[in-house]
Amino acid sequence: MIGIIAALTLRQLLGRGRTILLGLVALLPILLALVYRIGGEDTDQSEWVAQVLFDGLVVTILLPLLAVVYGTAALGAEIEDGTAVYLLAKPVSRAKIIFGKLLAAWALTSVTVLVSALVAGAIGLQGVPGHGLLVGFAIALVAGSLVYSALFLMLSVFTSRALIAGLVYVFIWEGLINGLFAGTRLLSVRHYTLAVADIFVDLPRGVFDAKLGSVPAVGLMIAVAGGSVWYGIRRLQRFEIGEST
Amino acid sequence: MSDEGNASSSIYDLGYRHYEGVRVGRRGTLLTLYTHGLRSCFGLGRRATSKIFPWALAIFAFVPAIIQLGVGAVVSGFDQKIELFKHEDYFTYVRIILVLFCAAVASELVGKDQRNRTLSLYFSRAVSRFDYAFAKLAALTSAMLVLTLGPQLLLFIGNGMAADDLGGYTSDNWDLVFPIVAGSFLVSAVIASVGLCIASYLPRRAYSTAAIVGTFILTLSIAHILMNSIDPAVARFFLLGSPVAWEGAILWLFRVDPDARNVLTDADLAGWVYLLAVLVTIAATFALTLRRFGRVST
Amino acid sequence: MLRDVSRWYGNVVAVNGMSFTASPGITGLLGPNGAGKSTVLHMLSGFLKPSAGEVTVLGEPAWGNPELYRRLGLVPERESVYAALSGYEFVRLNARLQGLPDADRAAREAIRLVDLGDAADRSTDGYSKGMRQRIKVAAALVHDPAVLLLDEPFNGADPRQRLHMIELFRRLAAGGRTIIFSSHILEEVERLAERVLVVVGGRLAASGDFREIRRLMTDRPHTFTLRTSDNRRLAAALVAHGSVVGVEVGDGRLTVRTSQLGAFARAIPTIARSCDVTLRELRPTDESLEDVFAYLVNR
Repeated sequence: MIGIIAALTLRQLLGRGRTILLGLVALLPILLALVYRIGGEDTDQSEWVAQVLFDGLVVTILLPLLAVVYGTAALGAEIEDGTAVYLLAKPVSRAKIIFGKLLAAWALTSVTVLVSALVAGAIGLQGVPGHGLLVGFAIALVAGSLVYSALFLMLSVFTSRALIAGLVYVFIWEGLINGLFAGTRLLSVRHYTLAVADIFVDLPRGVFDAKLGSVPAVGLMIAVAGGSVWYGIRRLQRFEIGEST
Repeated sequence: MSDEGNASSSIYDLGYRHYEGVRVGRRGTLLTLYTHGLRSCFGLGRRATSKIFPWALAIFAFVPAIIQLGVGAVVSGFDQKIELFKHEDYFTYVRIILVLFCAAVASELVGKDQRNRTLSLYFSRAVSRFDYAFAKLAALTSAMLVLTLGPQLLLFIGNGMAADDLGGYTSDNWDLVFPIVAGSFLVSAVIASVGLCIASYLPRRAYSTAAIVGTFILTLSIAHILMNSIDPAVARFFLLGSPVAWEGAILWLFRVDPDARNVLTDADLAGWVYLLAVLVTIAATFALTLRRFGRVST
Repeated sequence: MLRDVSRWYGNVVAVNGMSFTASPGITGLLGPNGAGKSTVLHMLSGFLKPSAGEVTVLGEPAWGNPELYRRLGLVPERESVYAALSGYEFVRLNARLQGLPDADRAAREAIRLVDLGDAADRSTDGYSKGMRQRIKVAAALVHDPAVLLLDEPFNGADPRQRLHMIELFRRLAAGGRTIIFSSHILEEVERLAERVLVVVGGRLAASGDFREIRRLMTDRPHTFTLRTSDNRRLAAALVAHGSVVGVEVGDGRLTVRTSQLGAFARAIPTIARSCDVTLRELRPTDESLEDVFAYLVNR
C-alpha cells in the first residue's frame, strides 16, 4: 500500500511544469562547475567545491528549495485542490499514507539533488583528489533531504501555507538567524547536513567546517525526522475538511 | 402581469435601469484597483491566515531598525554615534525578508484573478490591460515601500532622537533623505516588478512563490559564485542581473564606496551602471507582464 | 446515526443539536444553501469532528476511523478528480487503495454500473460535468459499500443524467444499501428520496415522508401584493373574508396573507367589484426556499 501511494505521489509530483523548472534549477550547479573549470581562476579546487559549490549552493539553496517544493506538494497539492478526499476516505492507515508520501518526496528530492551535486562536483574536482567530498556529501544530501522532506510534509498537513512557511524557515531561520546566533544551529537541518558530510570529508578546518558536532547532528536529525513523521501522522488522523484558503 | 393593456407582444419594462450617475473614469478604476491590491497584499479584509506572513515579514524588516533604536537609546548619553546598521546597507541585510514578502503576496495579487478567471470580468469593463497591470504594480510597490521606506525612516528618526536633537540631526543629514527615499523606491519597484512578472506567468500559488524566491536567491548566489570563480571582469556583468545591482545602485545614490570585502569592489563598475541595470530590469519585467495580460485568454 | 450533534466554528453554529437515524434506503437531506447539509455529510463521512454529540455509521464512530471506509463510499461535492488519468484508471486507483484483491474487475464493474463504459478510457480532463460526477460515483461504489454518501450529486447535471442517476441510486438502494444525499432542490429530493430530512439553519426542521412535507408546505399561508385604486377599502373588505389570514396596508401597496389559496383566488375579483375597487396589480410575493423552510421551522 505504501508503494501504491508513493507511486501515485511520484506521478503527481512529476507534473510537466514543475519538473521543467526544477530540472533547470538542478542544472545550475553543473553549469557553474563547467564555467569554473573552463574559465576558472587558480583557486584550490577542493576548496571551491566544498565551500562554494556544495556548502554555498547545493546545501544552502538547492536542497532546501527542492525539498520544500516536493515536500509540500506531496500532500499539500491534493489537499488544496480537493482530491485528498479520495486518498483519505480509504481504509488505509494514516501512517501508511504519510510514509508513502514521504518516500516519494524524499526519493525525488534526493535523486535530483544527488545527480546535480555529484555531476557538478565531479566536474569541479576533476583531476584533483576528492577528499571524500563526493561520498560525504552524497550521504549527507540523502540524509538531509529525508529530514527536510519529513519536516515539510508535516507542515503541509497543518496549513495550506506550508510552502511559504517552509521558505521562511529555510531562508530566514537557517539563513539569517543561524548566521547571527550560533546557538540556533542546533535546530537547523542545514547544519545537520553539513555535519554529516563532515564525517566523511577529509579537509582541514579552514577549508570546510560544519560548525556542529557530528554526533549531536545525527541524533537531532533522527529526532526531527521522527518527530515530524509522528506529528504528521497524528495530525492527518485528525484531518478535517475546512474551507480552503 | 404589470400592464393591464396588452398588445399581442410588447417589451415589458421590468425595472432595469441604466446607470445615469457619475462615472468615475479611468482615475477611479486605477485608484480602486490600487487600493484593493494594496489591501490584499496585507491580507486586509481576509481571513487571519492570509495576514500572518505579510505582517510577520513586515515586522522582521523593521527589526534591525528597532535594534539600532534600542542601542542608540542606551548609548545616547555618551557622545558617540554607534551605527550598527547604516542606511545604505540596510537593504542588504533585509534583502531576503523583502523577497519573501513579495513571494508570499504576489500570487494573491495577480495569480488569484487568473485562477478564478475574474480577469475576464475586469477586462470586460472599462479597465485597460495596461491600467490593470500598472495598478497592480503600484500596489505591490507601495506594499514593499512599507518594508523598505518604513524601517529607513524609523532608523533616521531614531538616530535623530538618539542625538537628542531631531531638528538639528535632520538639517545636518538632509543629504541623506533623497538617497533614502530614492533607494527605497528603487528596491521596492524592482522586487515588485520582477515578482509580479513571475506571478503573472505562474498563476498557481505554489509555483509562483517558489519561483520568485528561487529567482532572486539563485541570481544572487550565482553572481557571487561567478565573481569568486572566474575572472571578475567577465563575471561582473552577471551582477547586473542580480540583487547585487540594487546594492550597487544604492551605494551610488548614497555616494559611498563599497566595502573592501564587498563583491562590488572587485567588479569595479561605475555606480550609475547599476542604477541603469535596475531600471532596465524594472522596465523589462513590466513589459513582460503587460504581454502576459495582453495574451491571457478571457 | 446522529445523536444530538452540534458543530460550531468559533461563533458560527453550523449544525445545532441534530439527531436522526438513517436506515437502508434513500434518505435525502434537503435545505437551502448554507443550512448545514454539507457539514452533516462531512461529519458522517468522518471528515469533520462534531463539536458536541455523537456521529456513528454502521454502529461505529465516523470520526478518526479509517477502517470504516471499507463499507462507506463518499462522493464529494468538489468537481476535481486526479488529473491526467483516464476514467478507468481513476476508478481502479480507488479500488487499489481500498485494497481490493481484483481491482481491475471491480473497476470495470463499477464503470458498467454508472454506464460510462465507452468513455472510460479517455482522460478525465475531457469529461463533461455529468461524466465526472458519474466517474466519482463509480469510484465510490467500487468496493461495494453498504453506505453511500453523496454531497449535492445533482449539481449541474442535465435532466437526462439526473434521470439516469436516480435510476442508479434506486437500484443500489434496492440492494439493501443506505444512501444519503443532499440537495437544495425540492423536486430532486421528492423524486428520489424515500425519506426526507429538512435542514434549515443548522437544525432539523422536518423529517419524514416527502408527501407529508409537501402537504405541510402547501398549507402554508401565501402572501400576495396588490395595487388597487383604493387599498384601504379593499383591505377592509378582505379582512372580513374567511380565507384571509392577515392584511397589511402601506407604501401604496396592499399585502394579503391567505391560508386558502383557491378560495382566495376565487373570491378576490368578486370582493373587488363589490367595493368598486379596480385591481391594478396582483402578484404573489416572491418566496424563497428560505421562507418556506423558515415556516417549517417555526411550526
